[in-house]
Parts: sequence; structure tokens; C-alpha cells
Amino acid sequence: MRIFWVLLKKELRAFFVSPMAYIVLALIMILNGFCLRAALSVLESAPSEGSIVTWTFHAMWFWLSYFFVFPLLTMRLFAEEKKMGTFETLFTAPVHTWQVVWAKYLASVFIYCVLWVPSYLNFQLLDWITVGQVEMPSGALKGSYLILFFMGLFNLAIGCLASALTSNQIIAAVISFTASLLHFLIGLFISVVGRQVSETFVDVINYFASMEHIRTFTAGLIDTRPLVYYTSLTLLFLALTHQVVEFRRWRP
Amino acid sequence: MIAVQDLTKQYAGRMAVNHISFHVEPGEIVGFLGPNGAGKSTTMRMLSGYMPPSSGYAAVNGHDVFRESLKVRQSVGYMPEMAPLYLEMRVKEYLKFRAELKGLRSRDMRRRVGEVMEQCSVTDVRRRLIGNLSKGYRQRVALADALLNQPPLLILDEPTNGLDPVQIRQVRELLRGLRPAHTILLSTHILQEVEQTCDRVIMIHRGRILANDTPVNLTRKLRALTQVFVEISGKGDVAAQLETLLGVRKVNEELREGDWVRYALRVEPGNDVREEIMKLADSQTWKVRELHRQLPSLEDVFVELAASEP
Repeated sequence: MRIFWVLLKKELRAFFVSPMAYIVLALIMILNGFCLRAALSVLESAPSEGSIVTWTFHAMWFWLSYFFVFPLLTMRLFAEEKKMGTFETLFTAPVHTWQVVWAKYLASVFIYCVLWVPSYLNFQLLDWITVGQVEMPSGALKGSYLILFFMGLFNLAIGCLASALTSNQIIAAVISFTASLLHFLIGLFISVVGRQVSETFVDVINYFASMEHIRTFTAGLIDTRPLVYYTSLTLLFLALTHQVVEFRRWRP
Repeated sequence: MIAVQDLTKQYAGRMAVNHISFHVEPGEIVGFLGPNGAGKSTTMRMLSGYMPPSSGYAAVNGHDVFRESLKVRQSVGYMPEMAPLYLEMRVKEYLKFRAELKGLRSRDMRRRVGEVMEQCSVTDVRRRLIGNLSKGYRQRVALADALLNQPPLLILDEPTNGLDPVQIRQVRELLRGLRPAHTILLSTHILQEVEQTCDRVIMIHRGRILANDTPVNLTRKLRALTQVFVEISGKGDVAAQLETLLGVRKVNEELREGDWVRYALRVEPGNDVREEIMKLADSQTWKVRELHRQLPSLEDVFVELAASEP
């Protein structure tokens, strides 16, 4: 366990000494600002269903930021070590593969959580400025961050796997971006063609449509199905990552 | 310390290491010698537990490198080729991280980090970013890392690669000083290094072991190439007279400086003609200002062995 903490500390440090963490943080802050502004303008223009929270997480800006975060946070995890050759130094030290995989993954999860702090502060700031004039349902707020956390777990695990597959960070980023986007598009696709296919099919697809999950949770409803879905896929992808890292130890 | 039996590694059908067997006793310094791509690094990677053999058996300190990989890694200080390091870290910070990874704790860790930095003379750059260091310093930081937990076995892949002559000498001294507490297996393609540092040489070529012996024995076996150099100033046909000596096969005139002529004599194995040359010079009243014998270098041995390989 001790080794795991040493590795985790090192990974977190690596994020903050490279410009990456700051660039991503700045990017997300800007896009979150746009999200909030977009939500406000929706509410300003006409009376509408849903709160400021709902509209913020349905803004186009939100999805834009959403897909860029994961490749940026995960692409270097394994790919850089492979490229630099430190992969060899790392795995000839007495470490278990699971310690390395979890340390790298949890470091990216930690940074991901930090990324959402400014967005939460935006809401608090808005509440303070408007002296509570804007309705800010706390259940919806908590629900939103809960689902964001679980969606993050899932997408970061994809990124982790992508990074373990290659020694090229760009390729890792492209794989993770494409995989996250495809997963999202399945849900989007069904909301477009929903009327032309059978009800059951739409229902099934909606189980893993991120758009649908966001809709539920930003309304303040906590549905355990997506949480279980994301958690189990996360574990699956991390197990795959473990296997990929261990691959060189396989006997032909 | 190391036991290797029929070790084989295949990469996509190519035999990188082909059924090699050897032993290394505790306290030995063994040099792994071979041209690039001979299978040195592959063997070392297998011994350090980084990747498993395709077939065969290798044990380090009594532990199987595949089944007890973790125990093997605890007892091996491995320094990969090219000394890969985290470039965004500072030297001391990196060594601390590695020490913690190898299980050293608080006071022990600080003491050892200080010691290895001193041993590898990187103390003066301890606060510098590794990315800004020269190749020589990086190489020594990697070596310091390998020494951290005082492993009984050190596996060093080209430890002096990229160092300048002064640094090479320092590293050589350092390695000699580590004996007998540490057993060392080092690879190189520089032959003098093996001659000067190692107790034993394992020559490897195309994944096979060509020779496994002490440097002295290896060169003794191939005395055919012994050369004697002599610089003489004298009257008459000196070269022809030298050729009459027992065991001299060929005399070449190398250099002419006024009256002085430098001759290179090829001598058959098992003969030392230096004494005879002096006697001859005495009787002919030649003046001699140089006389020395050059034993074949490991390089000659290696070239000969590699050439005789089918």
C-alpha cells in the first residue's frame, strides 16, 4: 500500500509540474463560464422548464469541454513512460502492476475532480451575486456533480487503457477521444432517430446514453443504474489496462 | 548468484537469445561482451525480471525470474541502457522517489540517497532538473539509482556509455570498490573496459555464447597475434637478422627516423623473443631504445571468435 502512495504522489506531482494540469484547468474554467452564461441567457429569454443547473449541463459548451478533458488528462500516463523508456525502470523496481495502474488512474481522477471546483464556485458566486434570486436547487447541483464524477471515472478508465496501448501520446489521445465520443454518440443518435425505431430499443440505448443520464441527474433524480453501469465499465477498462501492461510478461 | 540454463528469447520468430547457459558466482564482476544486437540487453532484461524468457530457466539469488519476479527485483539493481529517467524531476527528488519505491524508509532513505549521490559524484547537481543534465550525469544518476537499496546483484546495461574518459575511470573505480558485497553483471561493447574491470567475460554473438572465461585466459588462448615492437639503430640488414630468431614469423619495418628503425615482429604462440632480441643486439652492437610485447587484445579475440562462428 505504501508503494501505491509513493506512486500516486509522484503521478500527482507530474501533473502539476507539467503545464498540462494548468492548461486543462484554464480550458475547463473558460468553457464552464460559457456554459453558465449560456444557461443564464436561456433563462433570461423565456420562462423555461428546468433550473440553471439543468441548462448549464445541457449547453453545447459543456459537451465540448467534456470530451477534451479525458484525453488531455490520461494520454501521458503510460505512453510517456514507454516513450522515455522509464517504463523499464519502473517495472524493474519491486512494484506490482496493479499499484502502478491504480496510482496513475486515481491521480487522473483526482485532477478531474479538481477541474470541477471552479464550476461549483461559479454557481456559488452566481447565488451570492443575485442574492438567491436565481433558483439553485441543491439536489440538482449535487446530482449533477455525482453523475459527472461517475462519467469521469468511466472515461478516464478508457483513456488509461488507450495510453497503455501505445507509446505515442497523440495516438493515445485520439483513441480515448474517439471511444468517449462514440459512447456519447450512441445516445445522441437515438435521440435523433428515436421515433423511427421500436420503443424497447430506445429504452435499452437510453440505459447507457450519457445525455440521458445528465438529464436525469440535473433534474435532481439519483438513479443508481447509471452509477452501477459506469462503475462496472470502469473496473472492466482498468482490468484491461492491467492486462495490457502485463502483456510483455505473457509467455508465447 | 545468477544461474541461467538454456535461456531463450524469441521476438516474432527471431531468436534474440538462443539457448544460453552460464553461472555467476557471488562477488564476481562479469562482463557481457558483444556487438550491438547480440542479445545482451535482452538477457539482462530477462534477468532483471522485466520480461520472461520464451523458454529455459534463469534464477537470481535462488529466485526464479518469472515466478518470483518481485523477489528478483528486490535483489537486483538494474540500470537499463540509455539511462531512462524522469526528466521533469530533480536529481535528489528522483533518487528519493526511487528509494521509497524500493522500500527504503525515512532516515534510511535519506542516508542512502546521500551516500549514492556521493559515490556517483552527482551531489553537486542534486537540485538540478534531470532534463537539463548532460548524458554523463544522467548515466551516473541512473547508476546511483541502481545502488540505492544495496542489492546483492547489479545488472548494468552499458554503464559507461556516453561518459568521458575521466568519468569512465571513476565508474570503473566505483564498480571495483563495490566488490565483494555486490556481484556485478555489466554489458558493454567496449573491450578495454572488460579487460580492465571484469573477472570474467561472457562473449555473446547472435544470441549465442562464444566464450566464457577470464580475460587473461581468453587472450592466452589466442597468442597467435602477439606482436613485439623493437626500435633499433644498427648496421647491416637488421630485419633479416631478426627474422632468423626462433618463433618470429614476419618482420615489418614500421617507421624510419634517421638511423632509428622501428620493427614490428609477428611471433608464434608460446614464444617470447624479447630476451633473444637483446642478446642479438648485444652481439651485433646495435643500439636499442624500445622493446615491448603487445598481447592480443580482447578485440582481436572477439573478432577471431566471431569470424570462426558459422
